[in-house]
Amino acid sequence: MRDLAEKWSVTPDWDLAAITAPGLMVRALAGLDQVLVSGDLDAWANVSGLEGTGVGAFGAARGDRYTVRLARDRLLAVSGTPLTIAAGWHPEGFAVTPISAGLRAFEIEGTAVDAFIARGATLDPNQASPSAALSFAGINAIAYRHEDKLRIHVDRGLAAYLWTWMEQAAGHIAAGN
Amino acid sequence: MQLFPCPFCGPRDESEFHYGGHAGNARPDGAGMPAEGWAGYLYLRPNPKGTAREIWVHMNCGEFFVMERDTVSHTVLSVTTLGGEHAA
Repeated sequence: MRDLAEKWSVTPDWDLAAITAPGLMVRALAGLDQVLVSGDLDAWANVSGLEGTGVGAFGAARGDRYTVRLARDRLLAVSGTPLTIAAGWHPEGFAVTPISAGLRAFEIEGTAVDAFIARGATLDPNQASPSAALSFAGINAIAYRHEDKLRIHVDRGLAAYLWTWMEQAAGHIAAGN
Repeated sequence: MQLFPCPFCGPRDESEFHYGGHAGNARPDGAGMPAEGWAGYLYLRPNPKGTAREIWVHMNCGEFFVMERDTVSHTVLSVTTLGGEHAA
């Protein structure tokens, strides 16, 4: 019987996986607490104490706990420590959905980040866009800057594909192609 | 590549958008609707040379909106989010 698993690339060990090229370093982020917030984002800000606007595409987030805007009425809250707000509907007018297990996050740093972005996205990284939800490497992704690094969140099922794409992109950048 | 303006996100690559039909094609209501009415709703489409009003969705943020564009020059004339209260 054919082993169809051979058709697929082996999922990296995310704790150890790293891509290095001149001016580029990519690694997977572990331990981020992530929740989707939908509905009245001003009410969310009042209840949670976090930003209700959130950073947009390639916008700069700072600190250990921040929000990223996905749509007019939806954002992603990210924290390095567990968020204490309860999941489910809040009568103030918003819903909270834990999605830590659904999204895989990557962090990219180095002087070649702009070249890396240029290969993955058609969006001008210097042109502000209110939403960080965009197409990157042909898939839906959430892309923004955290401190001086680029962070990308994708559906966990697409993480191995994106990793393969990033390995190839880093190879092309290193080769000057 | 063409840039389409999402009412919320701003200019984005056309590949991020999906066409949802021409605007104003409301689903017929009522069991008494004759076959011609259903046929018009399901199959008959305008094919204007010039200004067209169409429904599009920006798949990354989920925004549904009406886009008015010129089918000859491909110029986008206006975009208005469905519901209207957040018109760009």
